[in-house]
Amino acid sequence: MSSASSAPQPVKLSLPLVYQQKLFEELRKEDELVILARGLGLMRLITNLLHSYDAAGNNLIVVVNAEDRENAWIGEALAEHAAVSMSPKARGLTVVNTDFTSVGTREKMYAHGGIFSITSRILVVDLLTNLLNPETITGMIVLHADRIVATSLEAFILRIYRQKNKAGFLKAFSDNPDPFTVGFSPLATMMRNMFLRKASLWPRFHVQVAQSLEGKKKAEVIELEVPMTDSMREIQTAIMECVEISIHELKKENTGLEMEDWNLDSALTRNFDLMVRRQLDPNWHRVSWKTKQIAGDLTVLRGMLQSILALDAVSFLQQLDTIHAAHKPAPGTTRQTESPWLFSDAAQTIFETARHRVYSSKQKANANSTLESLKPVLEEQPKWAVLADVLEEIDRDLYFEPAVRDDSNGTILIMCADTDTCRQLRDYLQTMHIRPRTAKKVEEVYDPEEDKPSGAFLMRRKLRNYLNWKREFAQVNTVLFSENQKALSGAVDPRLPQARGRGGAPANKRRRVRGGGGVGSNPSRLENGSIVQHFEKPNEVADLMSEIQITEDDTNGQAAEEIITFATADPLEDMDDYYQLYDMQDLVVIHAYEGDQDEHVLEEVKPKYIIMYEPDASFIRRVEVYRSSHNDRNVRVYFLYYGGSVEEQRYLSSVRREKDAFTKLIKERASMSIVMTTDSHGVEDPESAFLRTINTRIAGGGKLAKATAQPPRVVVDVREFRSSLPSLLHGRSMVIVPCMLTVGDYILSPNICVERKSVSDLISSFKDGRLYAQCETMFQHYKNPMLLIEFDQSKSFTLEPFADLSGSLRSVNPENAGANDLQSKIVLLTLAFPKLRIIWSSSPYETAEIFERLKALEEEPDPIAAVRAGLGEGESPEDGVNEGRGAVNGGTFNMEAQEMLGKVPGVTPKNIKNIIMEAENVREVANMEVPELSRLVGREAAVKIVEFFKKDVLEDV
Amino acid sequence: QPLPGGAASRPSVGSSILVSPRQKGNPVLASIKSTPWEYSDIPSDYVLGSTTCCLFLSLKYHRLHPEYIYTRIRLLQHRYLLRILLTLVDIPNYEEPLRELSKTSLVNNVTVILCWSAQEAARYLELYKSYEFASAQGIMGARKQGYAEQMVEFVTVPRSINKTDAIALVSEFGSLRRAVNVVAENGGEERLAGVQGWGEKKVRQWKKAVEGGFRVQK
Repeated sequence: MSSASSAPQPVKLSLPLVYQQKLFEELRKEDELVILARGLGLMRLITNLLHSYDAAGNNLIVVVNAEDRENAWIGEALAEHAAVSMSPKARGLTVVNTDFTSVGTREKMYAHGGIFSITSRILVVDLLTNLLNPETITGMIVLHADRIVATSLEAFILRIYRQKNKAGFLKAFSDNPDPFTVGFSPLATMMRNMFLRKASLWPRFHVQVAQSLEGKKKAEVIELEVPMTDSMREIQTAIMECVEISIHELKKENTGLEMEDWNLDSALTRNFDLMVRRQLDPNWHRVSWKTKQIAGDLTVLRGMLQSILALDAVSFLQQLDTIHAAHKPAPGTTRQTESPWLFSDAAQTIFETARHRVYSSKQKANANSTLESLKPVLEEQPKWAVLADVLEEIDRDLYFEPAVRDDSNGTILIMCADTDTCRQLRDYLQTMHIRPRTAKKVEEVYDPEEDKPSGAFLMRRKLRNYLNWKREFAQVNTVLFSENQKALSGAVDPRLPQARGRGGAPANKRRRVRGGGGVGSNPSRLENGSIVQHFEKPNEVADLMSEIQITEDDTNGQAAEEIITFATADPLEDMDDYYQLYDMQDLVVIHAYEGDQDEHVLEEVKPKYIIMYEPDASFIRRVEVYRSSHNDRNVRVYFLYYGGSVEEQRYLSSVRREKDAFTKLIKERASMSIVMTTDSHGVEDPESAFLRTINTRIAGGGKLAKATAQPPRVVVDVREFRSSLPSLLHGRSMVIVPCMLTVGDYILSPNICVERKSVSDLISSFKDGRLYAQCETMFQHYKNPMLLIEFDQSKSFTLEPFADLSGSLRSVNPENAGANDLQSKIVLLTLAFPKLRIIWSSSPYETAEIFERLKALEEEPDPIAAVRAGLGEGESPEDGVNEGRGAVNGGTFNMEAQEMLGKVPGVTPKNIKNIIMEAENVREVANMEVPELSRLVGREAAVKIVEFFKKDVLEDV
Repeated sequence: QPLPGGAASRPSVGSSILVSPRQKGNPVLASIKSTPWEYSDIPSDYVLGSTTCCLFLSLKYHRLHPEYIYTRIRLLQHRYLLRILLTLVDIPNYEEPLRELSKTSLVNNVTVILCWSAQEAARYLELYKSYEFASAQGIMGARKQGYAEQMVEFVTVPRSINKTDAIALVSEFGSLRRAVNVVAENGGEERLAGVQGWGEKKVRQWKKAVEGGFRVQK
């Protein structure tokens, strides 16, 4: 154990509640897995624990699996604790992530000791290369224990750690009990992955937790159920109908899909799109294109279910427009490419109702009738009015009963789901007392009550922006999709008329007509009563614009003037910017839920009133903890939700689910028997263990052991540590040498080089030609290049599509590979590289077996040679070997940036290297001009690249 | 390379798949529908081009006669450039035989192709035959045509950004150059967050993607 226990240090803790102290003591005593209900202060517990070790000094503690935010929190908290308890030995937290690069620096830092939070990918390489000797580690703290499965990187780290270091402590934490309840004896499995024997469960209904939180210092909570407006409910129902249609289509295409328990209620409560995904996942590479599209549609629909509640009417309409534009069919496709829900009457209802919430217009709008027929409706979110009421009530409350002296500020804290909502609420509160002075024609729309706060001003402003946006967007749309439209209207496709199935017929026709341009503005489109009309009525938009224009002048002038008065005379003037220095006493703070960070918000703001604009189960607990932790702070909570909405259902079900999960866990723990060995793969042969220790020490360097029986060795590209294969190879007693490889992913012997592709990788790398280029370079440097096609453990081991294969060959011609399936691409690849061997593996476990067998009679690979392969002149292979340590982080790992660059037209797998060597990041490339780029990639490609970045969709073509 | 003699004995492979009489009764033959085939006296099971041949192996059969396939491979000698071992996976415990075949493919210069049904096997045969003279262009990276697709492909590389977001992004900033540069501007993040549908997470990912370096910083 740590030296902390032997030399106790006076440490000041900040754990006010009984259950927290209890848990802390437990953790100091022994290794365990702690699962704490969300919102009960997990981070606080961890920082206190870390501080108790930190203060003792002379420790090397590694925090695994922490996110950036948590790192920041831990860092701050440790510094704060250190200052409070004035412990001279405390060194605070050192974060090792992509920003730290040099191997030397890291080595020094590790030698110095302290508390480290290390990105898993870096940590595993450092442990393997012995840069960080596992034996010197005092202990490990694992966050997000729920994410650690047997094949994960973290499990690999823990295995290396436990193999060499049996004495150090190991404590794992999680605040998400759900994943621990899936599968067969999940808790026991998880604990075995983490080499832990004891699980400590702390649900909200734990006796000690309940006692701590439900004393007389309970927080006062007022629930306000807000009814949705009729049109909101209508849209919600229509979306649900679309969901049903989509699921129906899915069922038709995939008979195996189990959706018996499907009903509309479950759509309200559960993440139905994920449910569908999970069921399709094992066969994802086999399902038809259409199924994929529908699965994607479900996600879109679920997003809409949320945004109908969160967004105001105008933004929602804008979102619908964008969604609609994005779901247009790709050019030249002859298949029925439309999402099925777009054809339904329900979709019609969604688009129509959403529009009528914003403005109502008679369909036959022409130049003469516009002013009478187009009028803004601008329905407001019902919660706004309630919010205003609540604020007023608080105001009155403060006025009539001056605050009881206590520690909290008079601040009002409004919590909402995201920053978007924050902004929306801020805008609303700022403008709710401004009356729009409108043209007389539309006056009757507005509430005559003068005092009542309303969002009318805000909504009008939004509508104006929206109309502007729409004009631009129509332009963008034509620029972006002109090719589509041309393709669609010009499509000489005799099959299309027959191809359209039931119900789709009129819609299809409509599309084709629309593509013709000009026709869209024809009043005759009425007969289609279409969804698409949103974009195809330039004159209507223009009418609306002109109508709103009239009011714009005076509203604008008005607005400018009123904002000034607003700033001086409005009693709520200090509401607007919460990030300025105002007196905390009477401030309204709007904040988005941010998980654990909310505790900080509470502590810093010390609010007296909290308005939860959206429900959040864990935040309620945070308030409880906050209230119980401070004797002298009174809190009143208002809790707003839409009755009968997704929001309400989701809140209820999340509470229920967590409770069920804990109950299950408690049951499992009661009946659990654990047999523990330190090695997860059974008893280890002492000889091979010995050999392995010898070899790992020198693995990263150049000197090869002259042992007669060398343990099998594999050179692995550092990028491959994202997959579980290195971990499994290590589990089979192979020595893993992490290196920075230019060619191949795994080098098994001087001759054998393996490129690993999961099925999805395979599909994408065929698409962008990466695989072809990779095969080319492999053949330049190795005698026996192999392509490993690795299926997922959970996925079905077959490439056979569900579709009927017979006769499909006719439609396939090799030149047009875009539409081809995987089989034909594999055929092309083997024809192009007849010497390429293909390994088919049904899972990473299988791969490890196969690798072992392939290596059996071969020589061991030389890391330096492996790194040298593919490097240009003047690049030292030594760097590559060292970079095996160094380059895990840094830019080489930024695959995302490279991938993005690869997508730019003009960039090819060949010339991409030149750009990468010269430019720093995507932004730099985007700002380069033709002459600069020509130097790197040649003039033709340079022109293409610059055009791509410069093309302006807002300009006329 | 096929032996010169071998090539001479088969004057021209022609447009049909050559099938060894050994394959008589194989259900795969019944599934070859879009390409003509004919029996011919050949050392392999199928000849799919002047340099391509194919041996067919059902794992069920392999389990009963494990030595069979090695004899057949030996009979091929060193003929043909591309020697396909078309393997029908028709037993549930395929793991062990597949490990063995992986090793064999390395030692004996055969390329293993797996299929899961006779139809799929037939399709592979048809594909090999019809692609006999095809160029590899189809897998050398067919780029999406048209600005909209290319733009969407580019913007959607960071995981949480989808097609809708991509379109919202360019329509907000006009060009990609501006959309990329905005991250470096003052208040750029705020502006990005103002784009329809873009939350903090997307903004952060976008920033990281366009500002993150390509290389290791030393």
